Amino acid sequence: MLTVQSLTKTFSTDDAEVRAVDDLSFQVQPGEVYGLLGPNGAGKTTTLRMVLGLLEPDAGFAEVDGVRTESDPIGVKSRLGFVSASDGVYPWLSVREMLLYFGDLYGVAPSVAAQRCEDLATLMGIEPFLDRRAGTLSTGQRQRVTLVRGLIHDPPVMLLDEPTRGLDVVGVQTIFDYIKHLRDVGKAVIVCTHRLDEAQRLCDRFGLLHRGKLQHAGTMTDLKEATGREHLVEMFVDLMKENA
Amino acid sequence: MRLWRLSHKELKETSRDRRTIITLLMMPLLVYPLLSMAMNRYLLTSDAEAVPYKIGVENEADGRWVQEILQSPDSTPPEEVLKSAGGQMAEFELFNTSDTLDGKPTTVSDSISRGTIDVGIESEGDPKSYRLYAFRGDLRSQNARRIFVERLQWYQLSQLEKAAPQVVAPEFEIVDEGEEQNEPILATIVPLVLVLMTITGAVYPAIDLTAGERERGTMEALMASPVPRFQVLLAKYFAVVVIAMLTAIANLAAMFTTLWLGGLLPLLTGSDVFPWLQVLQILGLLVLFSGFFSAVLLSLTSFARSFKEAQAYLIPVMLLSLAPGMLSLLPGVKLSGPLAVAPLINIVMLAREVLSGTVVPAAATMAVISTIGYAAAALSIAAHLFGSDAVTRTSDQSFASLLKRPKRWTAVPTPQTAAMVLALLVPIYFVCSNVLMKYLSGMRSIMLGSLDDLPLDSAVALQSRSMWLSATTLILVFGLIPLLATWLGRSRLLSTYRLHRPGVLAIVGATIVGLGAWAVAHEAFVIADALGIGGLSEKRIADTRKMLEAWQIIPPWVLLLTLAVTPAVIEELCFRGFLFSAVLRVMSPLRTILLTSFLFGLFHVLTGNALLIERFVPTFLLGLILGVIAYRTGSVIPGMAMHFVHNGLLEMVGHYYKQLEFIGADFDNQTHLPPHWIAIATTIAVAGMAIVWFAGRRRTLLVP
Repeated sequence: MLTVQSLTKTFSTDDAEVRAVDDLSFQVQPGEVYGLLGPNGAGKTTTLRMVLGLLEPDAGFAEVDGVRTESDPIGVKSRLGFVSASDGVYPWLSVREMLLYFGDLYGVAPSVAAQRCEDLATLMGIEPFLDRRAGTLSTGQRQRVTLVRGLIHDPPVMLLDEPTRGLDVVGVQTIFDYIKHLRDVGKAVIVCTHRLDEAQRLCDRFGLLHRGKLQHAGTMTDLKEATGREHLVEMFVDLMKENA
Repeated sequence: MRLWRLSHKELKETSRDRRTIITLLMMPLLVYPLLSMAMNRYLLTSDAEAVPYKIGVENEADGRWVQEILQSPDSTPPEEVLKSAGGQMAEFELFNTSDTLDGKPTTVSDSISRGTIDVGIESEGDPKSYRLYAFRGDLRSQNARRIFVERLQWYQLSQLEKAAPQVVAPEFEIVDEGEEQNEPILATIVPLVLVLMTITGAVYPAIDLTAGERERGTMEALMASPVPRFQVLLAKYFAVVVIAMLTAIANLAAMFTTLWLGGLLPLLTGSDVFPWLQVLQILGLLVLFSGFFSAVLLSLTSFARSFKEAQAYLIPVMLLSLAPGMLSLLPGVKLSGPLAVAPLINIVMLAREVLSGTVVPAAATMAVISTIGYAAAALSIAAHLFGSDAVTRTSDQSFASLLKRPKRWTAVPTPQTAAMVLALLVPIYFVCSNVLMKYLSGMRSIMLGSLDDLPLDSAVALQSRSMWLSATTLILVFGLIPLLATWLGRSRLLSTYRLHRPGVLAIVGATIVGLGAWAVAHEAFVIADALGIGGLSEKRIADTRKMLEAWQIIPPWVLLLTLAVTPAVIEELCFRGFLFSAVLRVMSPLRTILLTSFLFGLFHVLTGNALLIERFVPTFLLGLILGVIAYRTGSVIPGMAMHFVHNGLLEMVGHYYKQLEFIGADFDNQTHLPPHWIAIATTIAVAGMAIVWFAGRRRTLLVP
C-alpha cells in the first residue's frame, strides 16, 4: 500500500519560485489503480520522482508498506516498480541480460531473477527475442521489455508515468492488459497521464492535479457529484478556466 | 559480489560497442606499424647524404676485409630495398686506429668510447671471427653498425648464392661500448604514451557509461533502483579502468612489437635484451594512470547531460593532461617536494623514475597515495553529480551545488564526504608538515649547526616550539577540515563525532587499556623492526635520544598538552568520530575498524618529507584497539581517555627518565621488554578491554 502525505516541492529559478507540488496527500490500496491526472506541468512527474526518491521533497513523505522515504529511501525504492514512456534500453545487451541486470540492481537473487524473467517473458510475449540485442528491437517490443523490467523484482507498488505516450493502438492495448494484470495480482498502481479518456477506462480512483494541487479526488461517481460533469475532460476544462 | 556483477554488465555493454573496439584495436594495429615504417625510413636515409660514417679497424688485414665488403657490388642491397630506403647508400670512411696522427695507437673500443669513430671492427683467431663495436645509446653509432651489418649480410648471402660451400662465412659478434644509460629514451617516452593511451582508452567508455545513460533513457530507471549511487558509479569506474588498461596494453604491445621487429628497441631501452622488467613496471604504472584518468573523466562526464557536452568537457582536459606528460621529456625534473603531490605530474615523474631505476621510495609512496586520494575525490564528485541532474530537468545542478549545504540535517556524513575529506587531508597535511619542517630546520640553522651541535637550552626551545606548532597543525588540519565538511554537509555534530555520553565504567576500562597498551605498541615496533618493516636509522636513534633529553627539561604540562591532550582529542574526533561514523554507513563494523586503523597508521607515517614507516605497525595496532573501544562503547570519549593515557604515559616516562632508572627500566627502542613487564602490561590492557567490553554497550547509531 502507498501513502503520500503532504508532499511539497518548490523549484526555484533565478527570478521566481515555482511550487510544482503543493501539500499533496493520497492513498492507494493493493489491487487498486489510481489515476494521477493533470495537464502537462501539473506536477504529476515531480510527485512520482519524489515517491521514487529521485527528488527530495521540501516537506511531506511517501510511505510504501510502512517504509518511509525520509528514513529508508533505499527500502522504499526496492518496493517500487517504475515504468515510464521515455524508458530506454541498453542497446548492446540482450533483453535477458538487461532484465537480469535490473534484477541484480533490485537485489533479486540471480536464480530467482532468471525464473521471473522467463515467467514474465511468457506473460508479456517477449520470449522470442529474449536473447536478442535490445538495440535491434522495435518500439513496441521495447515497450514490452520495459514493462517486464518494472516487474522483475515483484514490487507491491507500481508507478507508471505516461505509459501510453507515443504508442499506437496495439501498444496502448498492451498497456491496458498490463495494468489489468497488475490489478489482478494485487499491486497498488499509480498511473500518471494526461490522456483523460484512457484514464477513465482504466482507473478505479482519480486525483485531479492542477498547478501542483489536488483539486478533486475520488471515484468517478464522487467526481461526477462534486463537479456536476459527466466526463473527466469537461471537469478539467472547468478547472483550467477557474484557475486561469 | 554484486559489485562484480554490476561491473561485468558495464564492461559487457561497453566492450560490445563498435566504437570501443575501434579505439581499442584499430589504433595500435594501424598506427604503430605505420609509425615504425616512417621511422625506419627516416633512420635508413636521414644520415645517408650527410657526413660519411667513420669505420675503424686495428690492422691492415681487417681494413682490407672491410674494404672488400663495402666496395663489392654484392653488399649492395637489391634495388627494391634500396628504393624503399630512398635510393641512397650510406657512405663509410675507413680509419686505422693503430695509425693515428698523433702517433698514439689505440684500440677500436677506445676510439669508440672517445667518439673518434662511429663503428669499430676487431678480429681474432683463425679462421677469423669479428667483433663489431658501437656506442651504446648513440643513435649515429648504432645506425652505422646496423647499416654495416646489413651490408655484410647481403654480401654473405650473395657469396652463398654463388654456390661456394667451401667458403665459410666469418662469424661476427655485436659489442656495445659505454655505460648503460641511466635514463633510456623509454623512460622519457613511455610516460607520455601512458597519458595519451589511458585517456584515449577511457574517454569513450567514460562518456558512454555516464552521459550515455541519459541519452539512452536508461538513467531514470537506474536511479530509481535501490542501489547507492556510489556503488553504481564504482561499477562503471571498474569497467572504464579495465577498458583504459586494455587500450594502453594493446598500444604498448603494438609499440614494443613494431619496435622489436624493426630492430629499434635497443635505441629506446639502451640494451639489446628484451626489457621484460620494464614491461612489468609499465603494467604496474598503467593501473595507476588508468585509475587516475578514469576517475577524473568520470567526474566530468557525470556532469554532462549529453555525449556532445561530455566531449566538450573532455577536450580541454586532454589538452591540459599533455602538459604534465611533456614534463617527462624535460631532464633534471625530479619527483620530490610539492611535485610528489601534484596531480598527474607526480605519476608522470614516477613513471619516468621507475623506468630509469632512480625511484625514491618516499616520494613514490607519496605520489601513489595522493593519486589514490585524487581518484577517490574525483569519484566522490562523480557520485554526487551522477544522476542527480538527469532526473531533475528543472533543477540546475552546477559545480557550485557541491558546496551548497543540503536543506535537511543528516545524522552522519556520507562516505563520499569522508572520501573528499581524506583527499584533502593528504595534500594539505603534507604541505603543512613540510612547511613546518622547513621552518624548524630554518630555525635550527639560525641557531647554528645541526641538532647535535645545539646547546641544550636552544634544543629545548626548538623542541617545545616544534611541539606547539605540531599541535596547532594537527588542530587546523585534522580538526578543522572534517569540521568544515560536517558543517557543509549539515550533519549533526553529536552523531557525526560520536559524542554520546559513555558509561563511567567504559571510561575506566579504556583508561586501564591505556596504561597497558604502550607495551603492546612497543613490542609491535620491535617485532616489525625485526621483520624489516621500518626500523630506525642511526641518525633517527640519535635524534630520538636528543629529543628525550629535551623532554626532561620541558615542563610536563607542555608535553601533556601538546603531545597527549591535542592528539587524543583531535585524532579521536577525526578517525574514530568523523571517519568512523561515515564509513560505518557502508561497511561492516570490522571493516570500519580495519579501514580507520589503516588510515590512522598511514597518517602517522606521512610526516614531513620523510616516511616514518616504523610508526605504521604500532599505530595501526593502537588504531585497532581504539576502534574496538569506539565501536563497543558507541562513543569517541573512552577512546580519548585511552589515547591520552597512552601518549601521556610515554611522555611522562620520557620526562622522568632519570628518576625511573632505579627500577631497571631500559627504554631502548630496539630491544624487547623484560618478559614480566610484557606480562603485566598485557594483563592490564586485557583487563581494561574486558571492562570496556562488559561495560554495557551503547548501541552505535546506525543511520542509512
